[in-house]
Amino acid sequence: MTSNGAARQISQYRLDNGLRLITAPAATGQVAAVNLWYGVGSRHEVPGRTGFAHLFEHLMFEGSGNVPKGEHFKVIEALGGELNASTSSDRTNYYETVPEPALDLALWLEADRLATLRDGVTQEVLDNQRDVVKNERRQRYDNQPYGTAFERILAHAYPEGHPYHHPTIGSMADLDAADLDYVLSFHKAHYGPDNLVLTVVSSLEPEDVRERVARYFGGIPARETVATAPDASLEGPIGSKSLVVEEQVPAPAVFVVHRVPPYGTREFDVMNLASAVLGQGQGSRLYRRLVVERGLANDDGGASSDLFDFRYTQSLFFISMIARDGVSGEELETAVFEETAALADGIGEDELERARAVLERDHFQSISTPAGLANTLSSYTQLFDDPELVYTWPERWASITADEVVDYAKRLLTPENRFSLRYEVATSEAAEKAEA
Amino acid sequence: MSSLQPRPALGEPVRYTFPKPTRIKVGSGTVVAVDLPGQPYAAVRLIHPAGAINEAHEHMGVAILVGESLEDGVDGNSSLAPALERYGAEWVGRVGWDSFITGVDAPARRLKDAVSLLAEAVRTPALRSDDIVRRRDQLVERFRLENSVASTLASRAVGSQLFTGRYAVPPSGGDVYQQRLTPEIARSFHADNIASVAGTLVIVGDLTGVNLEELGAAVFGDAAPTPQRHTAAPGAAPGERPRIVILDRPGSVQSAFVLAHRAPARSEVDLPRVEGMSDVLGGMFTSRLNLELREKHGYTYGVGSRFDLRRDSGVFVISTQVNAPTTAHSITVTLEQIAELQRKGVTESELQAVRESHTLGLPVAYASAGRMAWALIEMVVYDLPEDHVDRMRAGYEQLTAEDLNRSAREHLHPDDAVVVVAGDAASLRGPLEEIGFGPVSVQDPDTLWG
Repeated sequence: MTSNGAARQISQYRLDNGLRLITAPAATGQVAAVNLWYGVGSRHEVPGRTGFAHLFEHLMFEGSGNVPKGEHFKVIEALGGELNASTSSDRTNYYETVPEPALDLALWLEADRLATLRDGVTQEVLDNQRDVVKNERRQRYDNQPYGTAFERILAHAYPEGHPYHHPTIGSMADLDAADLDYVLSFHKAHYGPDNLVLTVVSSLEPEDVRERVARYFGGIPARETVATAPDASLEGPIGSKSLVVEEQVPAPAVFVVHRVPPYGTREFDVMNLASAVLGQGQGSRLYRRLVVERGLANDDGGASSDLFDFRYTQSLFFISMIARDGVSGEELETAVFEETAALADGIGEDELERARAVLERDHFQSISTPAGLANTLSSYTQLFDDPELVYTWPERWASITADEVVDYAKRLLTPENRFSLRYEVATSEAAEKAEA
Repeated sequence: MSSLQPRPALGEPVRYTFPKPTRIKVGSGTVVAVDLPGQPYAAVRLIHPAGAINEAHEHMGVAILVGESLEDGVDGNSSLAPALERYGAEWVGRVGWDSFITGVDAPARRLKDAVSLLAEAVRTPALRSDDIVRRRDQLVERFRLENSVASTLASRAVGSQLFTGRYAVPPSGGDVYQQRLTPEIARSFHADNIASVAGTLVIVGDLTGVNLEELGAAVFGDAAPTPQRHTAAPGAAPGERPRIVILDRPGSVQSAFVLAHRAPARSEVDLPRVEGMSDVLGGMFTSRLNLELREKHGYTYGVGSRFDLRRDSGVFVISTQVNAPTTAHSITVTLEQIAELQRKGVTESELQAVRESHTLGLPVAYASAGRMAWALIEMVVYDLPEDHVDRMRAGYEQLTAEDLNRSAREHLHPDDAVVVVAGDAASLRGPLEEIGFGPVSVQDPDTLWG
């Protein structure tokens, strides 16, 4: 095994067709991590077409002009490579980590589906992957205790018609309605090199990687028309909303969100620290107070709070906890509200320092593998046009003071800016009761 | 029009050689280390042979309870994680059938501090009664919560359908055995099996300037040498086989099913032949089962198969979640695919995929400190030579189609299998009886480990 021991060597290029390429050295040898972020996600979907960006992600593995159905997976797997893709509101991400001698092949496979996917998609493939995605929805949402929480949260935290009102999985009805013509137009609208950040983490020289990427992607023209996303602007608080759902769940559970500023803003960073103080790690307030001291919530290891990081609209400060035996959902909900509100009463320097350490650890762990580094580089380039953030991001938390966190907690973590979703164990026919 | 390049040939493969670990004796323990210059995070793991299989029958689940209780740290009251967080480190704990693993992932530059905290946490934890009871009660409740997930429920029930003895109960002891444990039992297990036993310390990361002997001494102290563990093959559960057991989950829109049968112990099989065969059947995305159930029929989001090979026995499992109305046909398709593999054998392209993925793909498989550490743990737990990975690579390079075909005939036993289905019994029972696999029974999940 070889290792170059290099760090902080990021190179950036832009091809004539608009493709942005990022390269960086890997800390382990003989591998190439290839990561592609396309600037298309479920925020580009319109009512009646939900779930399409994600369904489309599946179709990208089902054959293109020069690659038969199933071949992409087959080739990479046979090399012992690892590959997959994911879709969020803000982007669609494709990635593979391969032995370095297979880099050209991986790039060619990606280039082929970018340039010629529309030659390979058939009705049969669409029908099959529609069924697969419907099963994915059943597995992750409909047949899972609390599985519909995220969908309900988005539906209440963002107004009807807003591009973040629905989850990436989409609705069964919309999936059924997807047609081949729309598949083709979606690819044409969103999949162009000008909408792509491609990152390669390897031990190859940056110029070498650039030449290879230019060879395979350089001849693919930019989109003729740049697609625009629906307006995602949003101001003001959520309002004071709550929903109680009775379902066949094993215990009552509480999910709470507050709207906070978009990912990338200083305000978001402040709330990220607030989230870590409140509910990240076993040293966090929710863990110590509600799990250890009061015994109200199930032990989640200290993972009860986080942020949904949306770049192009207001993000969400998110809390979730499941009640212990004998604890009512209402009691847990009240306790969560109290602990959240208590952030406005002040936080200690030691708490802030712990929160910084937790966030920094998570950041550096995420970039400690070739695939993780490639993904983070793609992310910062696609969302902020600045791959160097990968090494400077933790500095953002250093200058944030406890007073600043308290100040924003007072302004944002309020009942007027809150949606609370409570699951109760169904005692009869499942019923929903909306309050307020 | 775009101008595309022709498909490139694969570059010249570079042979991967697993790094030879540094191995030093420190006191009664052993340090096994791999230096990865430039790797920003180090993986540290301490291995004790105190897995769930070694528990006394009346104390089932104590290993996992102790593993969780260590997170309360030397001051109790969940003090370990906050202490590690100050160093940018994170606790790692995993109790399996054959091993008790503790450890930390830490920035390479903070390795010494993190190892010191690991040593304290493992050797001199507070283990206060209040903390142990809290952890125990949380484990009991978590077990029930997790059983509400169909796939977890089906997987957990497999042991009770195949084995008697310890393997009939999940590693955690489930809710029934777990709630019988007392703080005294937990402290006794810790004193006898963890605190007083040196174990083996695995360290992978940038070791520039790291004194391994010093780290080993901090962790091992004056603990005693690690004892040899002896286990015996478990007995088979009673009941007709093959059979189908439905764990009733009324209203489920999907069924989670696991087809499982017993398999030999790890040391009794040729791993490349056995695992390579499983890869063809269900171990890869491009496996036969995934191509049939997902890509052809659209019944599932994914399906997998694997051998879970332990020191004294093993299990072969195929597991998936399918759209409820397709449950019976999914099982039929699964059985057909097993029969087809046994009858006709693998194709040349499947052989090549297995061979190359386990040889060319090794740099990917070991592309992080954490993954390399788990490979070293496997070597320690199962007494494998330190060139185990290279031997496996050689085994895959020499693999033939006949090797895989023979393995399919010898190691797949659908006639001796049990299919556990977590789903809606009212709608499933009739169709499952019609496929004629074997008798179909319905069980209330709450009675499984009572």
